[in-house]
Amino acid sequence: MSEQDSAYPESEERAQEKLQLIDTLKAPVIQMGRDLGYEVVENHDLGAGPVHVAWVFKPGSESLPDMRLGFICLTEFSGSSINEGIARAMLNLVDKLVFVVPTEKMTGQVKDAIESMPDKSILQLRKYVTVLTPSTLVSKTGVQGSRERRSAQTGEAV
Amino acid sequence: MNRIVEAGKDKGFEIVQGIDYGAGPIDVVWSINVHQALPDIRCGFIALRSEEGGSHDTEDNQLSLRKIEEAAIRGIRSGMDKTYLIAENEEMARSVSGKIEWLASHGSLLRLDAVSLGLSQDQTEPAVITPSQKRVPQGEKLRKKAMREREAKLERHNRPKRVRRRRENPLRKTLRESRIDRNSRPKDQKPKRF
Repeated sequence: MSEQDSAYPESEERAQEKLQLIDTLKAPVIQMGRDLGYEVVENHDLGAGPVHVAWVFKPGSESLPDMRLGFICLTEFSGSSINEGIARAMLNLVDKLVFVVPTEKMTGQVKDAIESMPDKSILQLRKYVTVLTPSTLVSKTGVQGSRERRSAQTGEAV
Repeated sequence: MNRIVEAGKDKGFEIVQGIDYGAGPIDVVWSINVHQALPDIRCGFIALRSEEGGSHDTEDNQLSLRKIEEAAIRGIRSGMDKTYLIAENEEMARSVSGKIEWLASHGSLLRLDAVSLGLSQDQTEPAVITPSQKRVPQGEKLRKKAMREREAKLERHNRPKRVRRRRENPLRKTLRESRIDRNSRPKDQKPKRF
């Protein structure tokens, strides 16, 4: 009994820490979405569980449907948390998913887990999921990709 | 899980138990060879347990959406063509299937209900939920029909013999019903429209 009593606050403390870490990871994503002029939805949920942040934007024409870019923050690496994140994103009608992780090391782990297609899964997740840290997201803003640079120089349509 | 393993063996399928392809453990896999020229169809069975260490998840014979979603995606990521989620009893299995149907109803690209289904360990009846539109014949209101039949029977038996059924004047009937309605409804409630 005493063991249980001591274990309970510890797990609650851990849960609090996780929530705090999620808030820390979310903050730059929310800020950047607002700065870029997107509609930012926190805890986007159609019933399958919350997607921490969603950027909603119109792709140029009123007749086209809104696009949703979903961000799910992972506090620790585990197969089940990746599965759960993918399920939430797909079932909440998110068009592209970004996993936001605290460290570069974890970026590699999650990427490897997603890109290794163990047994010909019907889902091509490498085209659906991106993994990054908040610092990568911030630092790469405004930096053009090589293809974009080339098209700007030569004027070719991509 | 032994029953599923035995059932698979009886049907001559290739069975793999307790395997992890990288996305999490799958309890049993049936590889079904339908034709030599075609690839095997792989059915994965995942037991849903209350891993949290308490009875919270299964208290009211229901498993959380989180657990169901996770297990279904685990099966898909592991390359299963179908993923069957094994619950403790039939009621729980029905609830799992219902939740899968509900999750699929939002219109996701992934038709979760096409690839996964809830089953119980000792499932004997078909596990596929038949929608009410198919269960009840089209346009037939069974409950109201039964009520009308019962009322007609009561009326027939309560009437004295050789007394014909008196047809009430429609105007009088409307007036009587409107009075009943006026006197039986609460003051702040709007009157019923005929």
